[in-house]
Parts: sequence; C-alpha cells; structure tokens
Amino acid sequence: MTMTLETEARKLPLHEEHLQRGARMGDFGGWLVPLFYTSIMEEHAAVRAQAGVFDISHMGEFLIEGPETLFFLEKNLPRRIAPVKPGQAVYMPLVNDRGGMVDDIIVYRMAEQKFLIIVNAGNIEKDLHWFRSRLISGAVLTDLSEEMGLLALQGPLSQTILVECFGAFYKDLRRFHYKDFEGGIIARTGYTGEDGYEIMVPKEKLKKIWDVLFRVGEKHGLLAIGFGARDTLRLEAAMPLYGHELSDEITPLEADLGWAVDLTKEDFPGSGILKKQAQEGIRKKRIGFEMIGRGIPRQGFEIQKDGKTIGAVTSGSFIPTTGKNIGMAYVAIDQAKTGNKINVMVRGNPVEAAVVSLPFYARKR
Amino acid sequence: MDFPENLKYTKTHEWIAVQGAKAKVGVTEHAQKEISDVVFVELPKQGQAVQQSKPAAVVESVKAAFDIYAPVSGKITGANKALESNPGLINQSPYVDGWIFELEISHPAELNALMSAAQYREMVLQAPKH
Repeated sequence: MTMTLETEARKLPLHEEHLQRGARMGDFGGWLVPLFYTSIMEEHAAVRAQAGVFDISHMGEFLIEGPETLFFLEKNLPRRIAPVKPGQAVYMPLVNDRGGMVDDIIVYRMAEQKFLIIVNAGNIEKDLHWFRSRLISGAVLTDLSEEMGLLALQGPLSQTILVECFGAFYKDLRRFHYKDFEGGIIARTGYTGEDGYEIMVPKEKLKKIWDVLFRVGEKHGLLAIGFGARDTLRLEAAMPLYGHELSDEITPLEADLGWAVDLTKEDFPGSGILKKQAQEGIRKKRIGFEMIGRGIPRQGFEIQKDGKTIGAVTSGSFIPTTGKNIGMAYVAIDQAKTGNKINVMVRGNPVEAAVVSLPFYARKR
Repeated sequence: MDFPENLKYTKTHEWIAVQGAKAKVGVTEHAQKEISDVVFVELPKQGQAVQQSKPAAVVESVKAAFDIYAPVSGKITGANKALESNPGLINQSPYVDGWIFELEISHPAELNALMSAAQYREMVLQAPKH
C-alpha cells in the first residue's frame, strides 16, 4: 500500500477544534480540511438520520454594492436577478463567453443594490478576475473570503437544533431564504440533499457558534462531519461539484443545469452559444449510474458500450447507507437513457453498470 | 499497535506469514488505520503470477483505492473470499481473518529483503504523525 505525503496547505479558522475532535486532516484544493472525525460511514449516516455540522470556511464570499449593482449583475449573470427579493438567494453557474462554467455560485440579495455571492474556494481568484474584468462604475466588489467563516448544519433534525441554539426567529425560514445573524447570515441552503442551514459569520465568531451547536446538538445525535461524507452526501443527492461535473469546458445544459440559466432573458456572457446549443441539442449529458458488477467507480474511469468509448466518470463512490456503488458521468446523448446498460472500465476491466435517474437519494418532504 | 513477531513486513505496509513453500499476505494494523473503513477488495486470481513489490490486490475505502503489493514473487494459490462480502474484516482483524491472498513462493531469497517486526515497528513509529 502507498500513502500520500502531507503537503503545505492553508488551515481553517477552526483547525484546533477539528484536531481536538480527532479529525484525520487532508488536502482539499490547497486547504487542510477534516476528511473525517470518526468514519465516513458513521458521518454520512448521521446526516441522513439526525444532523451534522460541516466547517466549510474555505469557501469564498464576495460583496458587490453600489447604485449600478443590479444593472451589472443582470447583465452578467445567467438568471434574472431583479425578481430576487432582499432576504432571498438563488443558485446558478457563472458562464464564460464560450458557454462553459467558470464556477457555480449562490447569490444573496442583501438590499436593493447590495449582493453577497458565495463561491467555491478553488475558484476565488478566477471568479474575482471574471467579475473585476466586467465591473462597471457604480458597482464595487469587496472580497470577504479572508474575513468570513461558514458552517453548514444539515440533516432532518437541523431545524430543531438551530431553533434551540438561536431562537424561533429562524424557525420558518424558507428554502433559499436567509436572515441576518451575528454580523452575517443564516440561510436555509445546503449541499447534502437534507434540510439544513448555512451559517456565515465573521471568522472570530465561528468558535462560539461551533460550541453552541455541539452543546445543544449532542443530545440530538449531532456529529461533526468531514469532507469525505460531504462528498458522498452530495453525490447521492446528485449535486454537481466543480472540478468534477462542472468545468470551463462544460455548459450548464450538458450539466443538466438548464433550470439554473434563463435563456429568455437579455444577453449575458455565453448566452448566444447556450441558445444555439438549446436549439441544436446537446451531444453529451451528465447522467447517474449504479454499478451492477463488482467495482467502485472513480473520477476519470472510462465508460464504454460494446467496446466503444462513450464517456467518462466524473464522481464515484461507495455509499455508506445503501452499500451501493454509484457515480456520475458524461456520456454521449444517445447513451444517456435511464436503464441503458454500460461498462465502467475499472483498472482496465469492463464492469457492468446501468444508467439510473437522478437524484440517487431524495429526502421525504 | 500490534506488530506480530512471526511475520515479515514490507515498507509498503504488507505482512507475510511464511509456512514452508507457501505464505499468506495481508496489510498491517497501521495500514488498515490509514486506509480507514475498507468497503471493497479486489482479490488476485487463482494461479496468477505476482512479482515482488508489484500490485497483486486492491483495497478500497470510501474515498480511495490502494494497491496491495506482493511482498515476494510467486503464484497465487488462494484468496480470502470472505472479504468479498465482508471487506471490513481487514479493519477488524488485519493479521488473522483479514488475510488477503496466499501464494507459493518462487524465490525464497527475496524474503531476506523484508523487515522484521522490530524493524517495521521502528519505521512506523518514527514516521511523522498525521
């Protein structure tokens, strides 16, 4: 067996808390993050059955404000921004001029002309350049990534825990809505397929909130959750991950994110190409598949049909709660139909799998 | 941590238990901890020839796949089929129930390159802590 060497990586503001909880730390896009505390198996199951807390402070936060902000965002983002009310948030990809995805982001309207944007950690520099190269006078961007911390509370008991911690004021928050909290916000959003919240606060307040969550949450079975289970949870919920399902070369239509771009609105970067693609039809598509034969699919594995390459795996894993081996992939459009039998090339050997409908997991509402 | 005296060890954290011309192979207690929960094992085939320090089996956690190297060259004479339905045996019992494959040793002199329990223990305990 070979082991990987530890690399120089940035530490999270709660690094010491993670070590105290016995976390196995590892690299994630240049950050030293908890991979798991006890085990991925246990943590995945806890989020599905009770609740878990994730430290996702590596993520980036931008503030854009000024009298021309709404005009600026409306011109550059792929969804209509005007109908988003203060207190509301909206998910979308950032699209480049070729129709590919620079990142996927959540845009929060703080006031008429003030917006918060949460971006992927690995894309902070790229996104900053994308926004700054398009900025107009009257719209000012501030990068808050260094100042802000982010925790996610996810799972069926997260509402109970949140209300016990911070009061009934947050009880009826609707999905993709947020309220002000401790110099930041609490939003009803997440990346696990469960009910839950994301809590953004100035990073010096993180420890206090982390401690309160565990003091209250312990009796509800609340666990700290590492990036290992974060990945298996989002995969099971079929949520795409930048660098896996999303990239500068893949369009939102191919990624099955057509619902997150509005091709009826006025022009935005890449809109011409996306409209053309919508008309002509996509040639490849993001699909989900389940292994029938023995083998765990991993990113980069080739997909074949009748000995011919038809695509590649973008994410794959064993899923703790179901014991299934599942994955997401891009395949040629004529091979994307649910039920289609395909072969995943596992270390050179074809292993049978079937295309299944997404998501793999949907919570009961 | 346990380092049984009767075994020989590789730098890549496999153990080998020699019994005459045959030997059983598995991964060490330290290795199973590093791998974390084993969820899948790919066993070598009966009769397959394996070469010293070359991959002979694959052990996978939720997150990653790890090659298991043959401590010495030889021919596969058996594999632990119980691991196919219960891969967690590698975590629970790395030195006994979690053995991975058995081989017939083709060059017994290759055993001389392996580490004793004391040498392996020193290597593991000196490695930087995660």
